[in-house]
Amino acid sequence: MSDAQSIDPKLLELLVCPLTKGPLRYDREREELVSEQARLAYPIRDGIPIMLVEEARSLDAGGGR
Amino acid sequence: MALGSPSAFGMDLEAIRRAYARYAPIYDHTFSWMLARQGRRLAATTAAARARVILELGVGTGLTLPLYPADRRLVGIDISPDMLALAQRRARERKLGQVAGLSLMDAGNLAFCDASFDAVVAAYVMSVVPEPAAVLAEAARVCRPGGDIVLVNHFAGETVARRRIERALEPLADWLGWRPAFGFEELMAGSTLRLVERRPLAPFGLFTLVHLRKPA
Repeated sequence: MSDAQSIDPKLLELLVCPLTKGPLRYDREREELVSEQARLAYPIRDGIPIMLVEEARSLDAGGGR
Repeated sequence: MALGSPSAFGMDLEAIRRAYARYAPIYDHTFSWMLARQGRRLAATTAAARARVILELGVGTGLTLPLYPADRRLVGIDISPDMLALAQRRARERKLGQVAGLSLMDAGNLAFCDASFDAVVAAYVMSVVPEPAAVLAEAARVCRPGGDIVLVNHFAGETVARRRIERALEPLADWLGWRPAFGFEELMAGSTLRLVERRPLAPFGLFTLVHLRKPA
């Protein structure tokens, strides 16, 4: 396993949105995995993607876009 | 499944997370050390035999991670952030190259595509999830056709004496993050997975290694 903030490309390639099972976009700046279909962004905390809908940020609420 | 929704077994993910937040700092020195060493080693060996890309469900503090060959690609998931943090520290400190990554997710609703892995391992997991059959179904979904699923678990006792002890412990399931009485047939009901091997482990056959294969 590599450095603190980097995500292994193999893991990124395998992960999908738990809600839609659709693709995710890696937002390097915000350290988030973005599901456009679900309008949700899943946080990556200390290199660990948090793939729970309950902990995801809504892309539509409160000027999140 | 929503966090905090009580299941038919009276366990929920929030209770499990609370239990493991308490366990995390001492976990490696208690349960695992005494009981789980042989099971973890066998699970890793069995899964790695025909697989390159492997998913471990309920990876916990990552005790199994060093047991996989260095050229495999290992992904570990868990519902407890406290346990995952320790797994990550273990992977970094010991420079475990086989660990492709760790992710926090619900084993009953995996954030992976169908057929993503050559093998899926769940060691000492099925008793601590609210819906074991749903977890097995998810394991089967993300496993490729012809791939292996390896479980190590305590299944409900076949003897009256053991069943009695397990029933007595049942009210403590939430606190322990563990549901003692839990049958193998109950888990397999409705599954299309094929049984390759079912092997009792020392000591006393308290735990069983179950090797399943997804039809090709």
